[in-house]
Amino acid sequence: MQSQNQNIQKRLPLKIILVIFLVLVHLGTLIGIIAVIGANSHTILGPGREIFTGELERGARIRILENDTAILQGFLDEVIEAFNAEFASYDIMAVDANQDNFIDLEQAGPFGFGPCVIFQANDRLMRFADGGHIFPLPIERLDAYEYISNEAWNAFFGFVDEIIVDDNGYPVIGEDGQPLRQEIPATLGVPVMIQGPVIYYRRSLVPEGTLDTWGNIYQFNRERNAMGGATRGYIRSLIDPYFNMGYLFSFGGYIFGENNTDPSTVGLSQNNAYRGVGVIRQLASSMDSRVTTHELTPLLYDLLAQGTVAATMTTPDVYTLFIDAFMRNGFTREEAIAELGVAPMPFLPECGDLTNPNPNLIPTIMMGGVNGYAISAWTDYPNAAFAFVNFATSFRLMERRHELLGIVPSREDVAEHVGGMSQIINEKLASGEILVMPGIREMAQVWNPVQSFFASVSQDAFRSFPRYANPSGQLAALVTLDSAITRAIAAIS
Amino acid sequence: MNYLKTKTLAFGNFFTTANYKVILSMFIMGFGQLIYKQVVKGLIFFAIQAGLIVFFVFRGAADIAGFFTLGTAAGNPAQGIHGDNSILMLTMGLFAIILLMMYLFAYVTNIKDVYLTQLRVEKGSPPLKFKEEAKEYIDKKFYKTILFLPILFVSVFSIIPIVFMILLAFTNFTGDTFPALADWTGFASFRELFGQGGLAPIFFRVLLWNIIWAIITTAINYFGGLGLALLYNKKCVKGKVIWRLFPMLAFAVPGFITLIAFRFLFSDAGPILWPINQERLLDPYSYPISFLGIDATWSARIIGILVAAWLSIPSSMLLATGILSNMNKELYEAAKIDGATGFRQFTKITLPFVIFATTPVIIMQFIGNFNNFGIFFFLRHGTFSMIGDVPYSDTDLLVNWIFRLTVDARRYDLGAAVSLLMFIATSAIALFIYLRSPAYRKEDTFR
Repeated sequence: MQSQNQNIQKRLPLKIILVIFLVLVHLGTLIGIIAVIGANSHTILGPGREIFTGELERGARIRILENDTAILQGFLDEVIEAFNAEFASYDIMAVDANQDNFIDLEQAGPFGFGPCVIFQANDRLMRFADGGHIFPLPIERLDAYEYISNEAWNAFFGFVDEIIVDDNGYPVIGEDGQPLRQEIPATLGVPVMIQGPVIYYRRSLVPEGTLDTWGNIYQFNRERNAMGGATRGYIRSLIDPYFNMGYLFSFGGYIFGENNTDPSTVGLSQNNAYRGVGVIRQLASSMDSRVTTHELTPLLYDLLAQGTVAATMTTPDVYTLFIDAFMRNGFTREEAIAELGVAPMPFLPECGDLTNPNPNLIPTIMMGGVNGYAISAWTDYPNAAFAFVNFATSFRLMERRHELLGIVPSREDVAEHVGGMSQIINEKLASGEILVMPGIREMAQVWNPVQSFFASVSQDAFRSFPRYANPSGQLAALVTLDSAITRAIAAIS
Repeated sequence: MNYLKTKTLAFGNFFTTANYKVILSMFIMGFGQLIYKQVVKGLIFFAIQAGLIVFFVFRGAADIAGFFTLGTAAGNPAQGIHGDNSILMLTMGLFAIILLMMYLFAYVTNIKDVYLTQLRVEKGSPPLKFKEEAKEYIDKKFYKTILFLPILFVSVFSIIPIVFMILLAFTNFTGDTFPALADWTGFASFRELFGQGGLAPIFFRVLLWNIIWAIITTAINYFGGLGLALLYNKKCVKGKVIWRLFPMLAFAVPGFITLIAFRFLFSDAGPILWPINQERLLDPYSYPISFLGIDATWSARIIGILVAAWLSIPSSMLLATGILSNMNKELYEAAKIDGATGFRQFTKITLPFVIFATTPVIIMQFIGNFNNFGIFFFLRHGTFSMIGDVPYSDTDLLVNWIFRLTVDARRYDLGAAVSLLMFIATSAIALFIYLRSPAYRKEDTFR
């Protein structure tokens, strides 16, 4: 018995050592595999590829993401049908991507469910350019190239970060083990329509000359309010940055320095921008407290059609939605077209006081944008997608888009052909009265602080103890806004 | 019990008595079982080990390495050059680690299994056949069979996302996905939250309001429901079915539709304020009233509390009605004979019984209210101020603030850090309430 115990005691350490050894062997093997395979597998970059060879990919199925109005009014169906007929011999077929109009290609693309051709505003599309999610385009090959103004092309112009590749297409690796990169100038989208605010109004309700200046509109609002009930003159939400930053631009404010390309400088408080704050306060006081929220915006079509509201501001591409609203409210199409007026931006008083009876007038510089097509870097059919873009920006289809949707075409020949507001907006873009939204990534950090600021400024008209009633308060608020945006940008950079 | 004791003692002797078959299974899983002619089981264990090695050679190893680096080379999709995707690498690395842990569990099970077979054989019994063991899993060990899938689903759909969120709090992920790379940043997000000049003042302001909100809404909902249930239980109430139906209607309508309706009701253009403000607009000395506007704080909060009551009281009422139907009527008879007033009967008989039975529900309601995203999202969506570089609203609960931090300000790292703190806080509060509750301390009282 004693010798058996001794034997056991002798064997015990041996077996413990064996178990430890086995555990170490297992762990060692796993760590070894991880070290050998893992350390190398994520740093090898494959070769790049020549993208726009001009050779159409047979059997391509390209997913087209258009804007909601184009889908609703049947324009997308028309384009797809015509394109599919034209390219049937290549077995290329375009289909509606059937996705959210504001899809984030950064999120959807890498996982394979983004569209091939994407139609969005320039600021959104240019954000995708930053991560290489859309292709730089050989725009000079497009039929529309020479008919689109430089100002519109500029909305899609930028510098893209490219990996330098060797003759075989493989990335050139630098001393730090990272691929060498270079910044190259590129155009990443094709302008289709120009967006800039316009005034929609009821011809029978707005006296001649009222829409010439914001001062006249202010007086007009007062008169309409005095009628009692829900009757209003001009009205629109004052918290939307897109429609209201123009009041700051008109007096010298700007978003980013160096023509909106340098996010290290934020200048909404610069020059006499504080006067714009005063204008917003005065406008708010001549409307009602609904302008401090978004709740009014979706109602405006019907309120204008019903005559409760006499004028409002929005973009040209929703013209057909107003016509639809008029028809819902008892107008025939012809009557609606005759009654619905569209006017350019009124002039502002240089002093910023809307009650001044004889002010010097300055143009209202508003924020605008250029909506266009871009091609997703995640598509397998870039050449077929490029062919679609070329097809959809032809004279015939641009004109058709204008006809169906009332948009302002970016092609100058089409704008000239259709005349009216399309021509005026194109001219305003060329003259700088429409400032194109900055297309840099940092713009995403601007919207929230600015909206919050406008909500507070417009609410100020209804406060018993106002905060922004005098220039010093207005300037201080703008300086705070600038620094909030600067910090928000710094936080994500 | 004896079986367990024997088993424990047997494993105590493992190091001294394990034979070469057990040792073989330690090298190659299932080998010992194969020698014992337990072919199916042996092959299953072997397949697990082989599968893991194949998985690790082809991708698991890379995934785990990627988990630690979060990527080193940014690609360029526009050039067709693929680089690393930090978030994908974090996810896949997490999966690989979980698979590795599952493998380790299978490895230990394999050794235990072959050792138990050795002991069985040494006692003179033949090794169990696969059919016999399988039979056990639908008989004695049925609880393991039935729990396997739920545990797997909870792990995949609940634990992994929580761990992923916790990990995110230690990175600098800002929502800029591929090809932008993220890095491990340690406690930087927490330092930004609580460091000098950080977001601590907003965090604590939101937290304080969140706690007040959770306590008030839970109390109102609970006692409101109980009160209604007691009222409808009274003999003097006529047409109980109809009265009970009314709160049920509020419960039956989808919550977000109710919230949108309430938003309209209390908005500046709603039927309450619109006529008042129409008149005030024409009076130069008066200002419009706003319940939910940017300057509204307590009016919006009170509306939120009332709306939460509207939405939750019906379910509390139903619960209380069910519990009250189980009350022992004799207790009340005895109390009446002893001269107890109605209020005393309520505090000494009804309330302890109901609270005892519903403590877990109260905890659930408390946590549900603490994390109630919908109420203020729908009531005051789009209404906020900027404090520093982050959006914030007086009515924001932590969960709303996290939404603003991530979706509006693109600070996923901060959002994850606050979520982690919230997770810890709600778990701690729930555990504290439960451990202090009669449901836990006097478990046998009402049995």
